[in-house]
Amino acid sequence: MNPLLEQFISEARDFLQGIAEKLMQLETDPGSAELMKELFRLVHTLKGSSGLFEFPEMTRVLHAGEDLLDSVREGHVAYSEALADQLLNAMDFVSLLMDEIESTGNINAKHADNSARLAKALRLLMGDSCAGTSAEAPPAAPLPENQDLSRAARLIALHEIPENLRMQLYLDVLAGTPLSLVEYTPEDDCFFKGEDPFFLIQQIPETVWGKIVAQQSWPPLAELDVYRCQLVFRALTTVEPLVLSELFRYIPEQVHVVAVPASALALPQGDKNGGPVYDDFEGKKSDTQSFQNIVQSQRAILELPDNDAWLTGRLQSVATTLTACLRAIGKSNALPELEAALTAALSTSKAAPLLSWLDDYLPESPGNSHHNDKKNATSGQSMPDRCDPQPSAAEASTIIETSAPEAEPRFGRRAEDNYSSARTLKVDQFKVDRLMNLIGEMVVAKNSLPYLASRAETQYGVRELSREIKAQYAVVNRIAEEMQDAIMQIRMMPVSFIFQRFPRLVRDTSRKLGKEVNLELEGEETEADKNIVEALADPLIHILRNSLDHGIELPEQRRAAGKPAVGRLSIRASQDSDRVVIEIADDGKGIDPDIIKRKAYEKGLIDEAALERITDQEAVNLVFAAGFSTATMVSDLSGRGVGMDVVRSAVEKAGGVVALSSEKGNGTLIRMSLPLSMAVTNVMIVESNNQVFGIPMESVVETVRVARSAVRSIKRRLTAVLRDRIVPLLSLNELLALNQAQRINDDDEMAVMVVRVHDDLIGIIVDDFRETVDIILKPMSGILGGLSGYAGSALLGDGSVLMVLNFKELV
Amino acid sequence: MAINYQRNTAHFDGVVGVDEAEALLEWLQKHPKGKLALSACTHLHAANLQVLMASKASISVWPQDEILRAWLKSALVP
Repeated sequence: MNPLLEQFISEARDFLQGIAEKLMQLETDPGSAELMKELFRLVHTLKGSSGLFEFPEMTRVLHAGEDLLDSVREGHVAYSEALADQLLNAMDFVSLLMDEIESTGNINAKHADNSARLAKALRLLMGDSCAGTSAEAPPAAPLPENQDLSRAARLIALHEIPENLRMQLYLDVLAGTPLSLVEYTPEDDCFFKGEDPFFLIQQIPETVWGKIVAQQSWPPLAELDVYRCQLVFRALTTVEPLVLSELFRYIPEQVHVVAVPASALALPQGDKNGGPVYDDFEGKKSDTQSFQNIVQSQRAILELPDNDAWLTGRLQSVATTLTACLRAIGKSNALPELEAALTAALSTSKAAPLLSWLDDYLPESPGNSHHNDKKNATSGQSMPDRCDPQPSAAEASTIIETSAPEAEPRFGRRAEDNYSSARTLKVDQFKVDRLMNLIGEMVVAKNSLPYLASRAETQYGVRELSREIKAQYAVVNRIAEEMQDAIMQIRMMPVSFIFQRFPRLVRDTSRKLGKEVNLELEGEETEADKNIVEALADPLIHILRNSLDHGIELPEQRRAAGKPAVGRLSIRASQDSDRVVIEIADDGKGIDPDIIKRKAYEKGLIDEAALERITDQEAVNLVFAAGFSTATMVSDLSGRGVGMDVVRSAVEKAGGVVALSSEKGNGTLIRMSLPLSMAVTNVMIVESNNQVFGIPMESVVETVRVARSAVRSIKRRLTAVLRDRIVPLLSLNELLALNQAQRINDDDEMAVMVVRVHDDLIGIIVDDFRETVDIILKPMSGILGGLSGYAGSALLGDGSVLMVLNFKELV
Repeated sequence: MAINYQRNTAHFDGVVGVDEAEALLEWLQKHPKGKLALSACTHLHAANLQVLMASKASISVWPQDEILRAWLKSALVP
């Protein structure tokens, strides 16, 4: 299901809830204009959003509701309880549709009927009290399913059907084929809506018969308005009614579909003198049942004892009846066998041959097989018993009869009905954040258990207790971790949340620039913490614009360079262990390192020496330097000098890194890597001046012990050669303005933590290294918020506060 | 042109759209005895159908398309 639809469903449920509430409030305060206005607004908005999707059934009902409420609001129609009932019913229906959309992603076309009926009922309410101005009031036949009406309509059509076709259909319907009569009366002005009713009617599959007539007799040609539709289409089809609803789902109010029972196809001819016979045709009993009854009676007759004077007459009578039956159902080919069976029965003076024929050709339905047991019972088996409507026959008839829906449909969802539970909860982010904070405290509290264990052992000397505490700690630890993971999952959302607006962005931007670009999105389902995903949005848009503006060339330039005229821009998201990686690649002209170097030099970002020294790869990454822009012209897209440096700082703020690689003429690849979640930070604890500090693990490159003799000072700065690189060394105490020299261990070595700050390696001299811990990093707030040298603080297991350093600001 | 008007016969070709209806009506008014050759017609818009029904025009050749032919006959053959 696409995210837009998901959002619609969750919003729509809120709206429905709101509508129901407002209706309830109106019950107690019917005159409130304020409530009515609010109610109208809700229905109006819901209708509007439903129109975004292909849910004509839903939109139709809501539209009718909106119109009704509008006239109530305007004072044309008075609010009444009947009106509220009807509206509530309509909303129940919408809610039902919503359930269906949620489970199947679609609305079954079978709801079209109910939708049309509800819409009509709503409009009727509007028309009723709409004194005089009933332009929109529908004709006075509110129930299209009215049996008599439809039957009349059907009968008109029936005698137009050729006799032999009708017989064939009669037999088919007896055999269980659904047969529907479609009467389609297009609107007068349907041609102006781009409809072609003649085309539509031809789309009905399995049409067995069709007829087109005029609504009234045609005027003289000179007066004929060719663009006012006056046609009525009728068709008989054996297709499932569901297919018909689907076909006419946009115009259900113009179409009557009537299921045709077999009895309707038997057209009485001649006069009505033979009363009872006529009743047989018109009677309530379906033919299937009558047929079954006839056969049953014959069976009963045959089962009478054979030693009877009337046997011959009986046999002949049964044979005649069965012959007639066979002819009626079109099985004339079975007649010779019946003849043979009769001859055999007559010659032996026994009913058995005929009975066995009957069993072969018209076997009893399983429901009444018990009659066979009594087959040889001597006498007294009364016939009426046999003539009872048999279960199977009854079933057959109900199948045919259950065509008309109930007179007043209800769509569940009354207070007493069971609610289908919603699978998504809409929760205020604040609540999730609170959970997050609580689990953070829980983790901290849990981390104090090991301290307690060691105290139990060292301070009180109860080793046993210490061990038990540790065992309990393991359990609590596992649960806490799982809980943390679960809460983290709640906050996870797919990157498609931001990806989905890119196609439009790329399309609009490339249009503006006169470029042709094909955007490829990959891995949209990759999930990351909500904050991370949101933090990604702006940098990504920026990068995309850059790629479109500077990267991808104009079509003619591309052709000249031997590339396809349509540029390719791909955005790929993937998960790499605990990080989410996003790569944006284009096949544009790439970045020319020479131009970058020159620009950077002109802007004073690098000096002459650096100009010679830096590699091409380093040069292209200069675009991330603050105040760098290569575009000579300022466009409304890019080139204002706020560029990639903003991207970099945004990504870094979210704990990510961004790197760029480019090949001149072949395109550019930008790779961003961000943590999946910002909730837990892995930090390394170092000691300095008897305090502990945390350093985020992602910036730590290595920890080394450097002999004091290996440290050189260059221009009053301490440096050391590590892995063939010169690394400047800075004392942490000095950075923090602590007037204290760093401690040096017994081997005369300094503890140096090599960290990466932007793309430079810097050695930080500390007193000692400690363990790494997972902490919940809380940003500094209030007065402390101004201290940019700290990324935040966290509580440690022993209750002490750990300050986490932010070297990017500190150095 | 989906309808090709000749002296006394209008030849329908392919899909005859809604725009043709007015011209067809005019032509039928001018040629009350005009014949319609529909053999190459694959579909005609309901507006054209109305014109044919109202004018009771004589169809000289029915369409080859069976479904269309059946429907047209249901409307045009009394």
